[in-house]
Amino acid sequence: MKIFKKVSLLAAASLVAVTTLVGSASAASSLSGKITINGSTALLPLTLQAAKEFQKMNPKVKIAASGKGSVTGPQAVKKGIADIGACDWDASMDVPGFKAFDGQVANKVAVIPFATVTNKNVKVNNLTTEQLKGIYSGKITNWKEVGGDNADIVVITRAFGSGTRVNYQAKALGGGDIVKKDKNYKEVGSSGDMKTAVATTPNSIGYIDLVYVNSDVKALSYNGVAPTTENVINGTYKIWAYGYYMTKGQPTGATKAFIDYVQSSKFQQGSLKKLKFIPISVMH
Amino acid sequence: MMETTRSRKMQRSLVYNKLATGTFYGLGALVLLLILWLLFTILSKGLPGLTLDFLLKLPEDMDAGGGIGPVLFNSFYILFLSLVISIPIGVGAGIYMAEYAPENKLTEVLRICVESLSSVPSIVFGMLGLAIFAEYFQIGLTILGGAVSLAFLNLPMLARVTEEAVRAVPNDVKNASYALGMTKFQCIRTVVLPMALQGIITGICLVAGRAFGESAVILLTAGLSTSGEMWDFNLFSPGETLAVHLWYVQSEAIVEDAAQIADRSAAVLVIIVLLMNLLFRIPLWFNNRKLKK
Amino acid sequence: MSTSTQQYVPEDSVLPMKPPKERFSRYVRARMANRLIKYYFLFSILALCFVLGLVIFFIGKTAMLTFAHISFADFFLSFNWTPEEDHYGAAGIIINTLSLTALTLVMAVPVAVGLAVLIAEIAPKWIKNMMRPVLDLLVGIPSIVYGYLGLTVLIPFLRRLSGENLGDGLLAAALVLALMVLPTICRISDEAISMVPKKYREAAYALGSTRLQVMMRVVIPAAGRGIITAIIMGMTRAIGETMAVVMVIGNTAQLATTLFTPASVLTSNIVMQISNVEFDSTWNYALHMMAFLLLVISFILILFIRYLGRKGSDKA
Repeated sequence: MKIFKKVSLLAAASLVAVTTLVGSASAASSLSGKITINGSTALLPLTLQAAKEFQKMNPKVKIAASGKGSVTGPQAVKKGIADIGACDWDASMDVPGFKAFDGQVANKVAVIPFATVTNKNVKVNNLTTEQLKGIYSGKITNWKEVGGDNADIVVITRAFGSGTRVNYQAKALGGGDIVKKDKNYKEVGSSGDMKTAVATTPNSIGYIDLVYVNSDVKALSYNGVAPTTENVINGTYKIWAYGYYMTKGQPTGATKAFIDYVQSSKFQQGSLKKLKFIPISVMH
Repeated sequence: MMETTRSRKMQRSLVYNKLATGTFYGLGALVLLLILWLLFTILSKGLPGLTLDFLLKLPEDMDAGGGIGPVLFNSFYILFLSLVISIPIGVGAGIYMAEYAPENKLTEVLRICVESLSSVPSIVFGMLGLAIFAEYFQIGLTILGGAVSLAFLNLPMLARVTEEAVRAVPNDVKNASYALGMTKFQCIRTVVLPMALQGIITGICLVAGRAFGESAVILLTAGLSTSGEMWDFNLFSPGETLAVHLWYVQSEAIVEDAAQIADRSAAVLVIIVLLMNLLFRIPLWFNNRKLKK
Repeated sequence: MSTSTQQYVPEDSVLPMKPPKERFSRYVRARMANRLIKYYFLFSILALCFVLGLVIFFIGKTAMLTFAHISFADFFLSFNWTPEEDHYGAAGIIINTLSLTALTLVMAVPVAVGLAVLIAEIAPKWIKNMMRPVLDLLVGIPSIVYGYLGLTVLIPFLRRLSGENLGDGLLAAALVLALMVLPTICRISDEAISMVPKKYREAAYALGSTRLQVMMRVVIPAAGRGIITAIIMGMTRAIGETMAVVMVIGNTAQLATTLFTPASVLTSNIVMQISNVEFDSTWNYALHMMAFLLLVISFILILFIRYLGRKGSDKA
């Protein structure tokens, strides 16, 4: 069984290599460590960009970021899977539908504007609160009822636990219900999924944070106001929310340094703005 | 009277036979066309723009032009670790079932165990890994967790293919070796295993291919991210693999060229599975040649 | 097994007990190794069973907590799965899972077994040599790639074909799954058919059977156990497949009344929601209950198919 011998030899060799590598990796440096970030996909672009810049300055720090819905963030922090949980609401307090996560600290990092988006084949450019409520509660099912073509409206919504959904429901739908089951209804798990689904499904409507909006989808005005960062800042566009980094207790070490960097004016005024987020300082 | 019915029956049989042969060929052609179309679709979408640079570069999070370096590395690393864990046990279990297991109730129970385990959906192994590594040991989502959970998934398949392959070795050969005074282990080592090797390697191939592309397990146990470094051997790094990356990229789609990256990743996945099939077979060819001499 | 020769395994005591003195150690070593390795193999199979135990224990333990919070009937008989409002009715999702698996097998099995017969029995050698590696490759194509193709190629196609708005649903999922399990079923059936001893066929041909008759009455029954194994493997792959299904089924917790109703099955529901829930919440327990159900369903299927297989081999 020469092959098996060789394979096991290789295995042993590589295990030795691994252990030595692990040993050497923990050698000291000024700022080192591993930060795992999980949670909101609405905040993900910001997190990824910040992580990239932060790692350039602190090469010894490893940052792993991924997203799968806001509630995953504080959830993962609680489970010990992540150091930072990105969340689109303050998860240290009770909000409608979600209990507070005890012992977690909310670190405000950005203002996130959300937009109503449709497939590009939809002729409608503006929807009012009442029209949106009608569409999402299942009372309006055809685009011609809101001034568009005669075609069924395909409603795409985020799965429960999405911060985008929580905020959209509260602010765009005035707390109105989102239909649960229907033939022309689909649930998606992340912001990117939402964009892909809306972009590829004719006659669909969905909602997403402004960062994700590009030429693949069409962003609608809300009560006549276009979804732009300017309109959020001047107070006319109402669908926005704060984004938070949840941590278990006060952040320390590399995690603290990273959050400090995201909150620094250098990042807030630089990359964060470029990504179509809004600096937290502006909204005070 | 008897004669005519018989010949009519025979004629009918012959016609059926021809019809059936035709149908089978038609079926074969159809499936082959489907497969070719499938491969063509994957490769034609992904191959243009597939460069070495793309394979080795770090993924970009915001801008176009990112690569798949670390996730590709993780794929191999996790696959390798999981095989190291599962081959000795899986093959051992298969040999036991084929050679040692006595014909009794206990063996029947063991067999049901193997079959049940092979029917456990991968997502359940993912949940198990999550429960063990994230909930119980509290180490989060890591390469180690992914590899071990993936090994669980491999085990029953390995046992099964090994058993089949070992059983296929004719008893005459074994008896001949026993007649020469070999112990059972000597017989297995020098006679049974070399003869069953082809089957076992084919099996390992299938298992490795499946494990390489497995995404549900990795998603729950190794996470959706990498440590952002190439050649990261640390067992406790997050271990997103290429298959998960394909899902992540198409569903996240933050970068502009997400669709192209997804297409290319799909092509890379398929090409690697193809290569893996070839590579695993090379030792086999040499073996066959030796036997012929 | 159909091998005709019986196997005679020497007991340890049968081996020469008193070898010449100078070679004593070699014999002892051989016998030691013989025994040790037997224990190693036994250990391997027990390790396998241990893993199974681990799965049942970890998933089952959490799953059982479900019924501390909601009643049996709430879970199994209610069609209302809205965990955010504390409704955990999984009936619709369970039925979807069963109908998806059935639909998949109905599409895949005839094609797969037919193809296996073609490869193993009818086709000339060059076709065999070409088809087998191609099918191997197809088995190896990751499920996520199938899902990706389903999402980017199949769904738009179905949408155009049917005039539906979404295209997601049981049909899309079943088509993707059928393609996925096809090579699995085919390849293993092929192996089983090839292993049928040649003399069976020769005997049947000598009696004047046509090829179809030989295949239907001799070869396929003789390979029956292998083919059933193949179907089990395909079925378990279909019932437990997650990622490919998630991408094309629509992920809506409702009963699939038509082929194009966006729906969800056990696996897709778990993977969509597991990361959103706390470890100690009824929701998490209910998801584990779903995973446990997946286990139970596949165990039952396997036992059932084993029973069928035994019946078949009794007849023959």
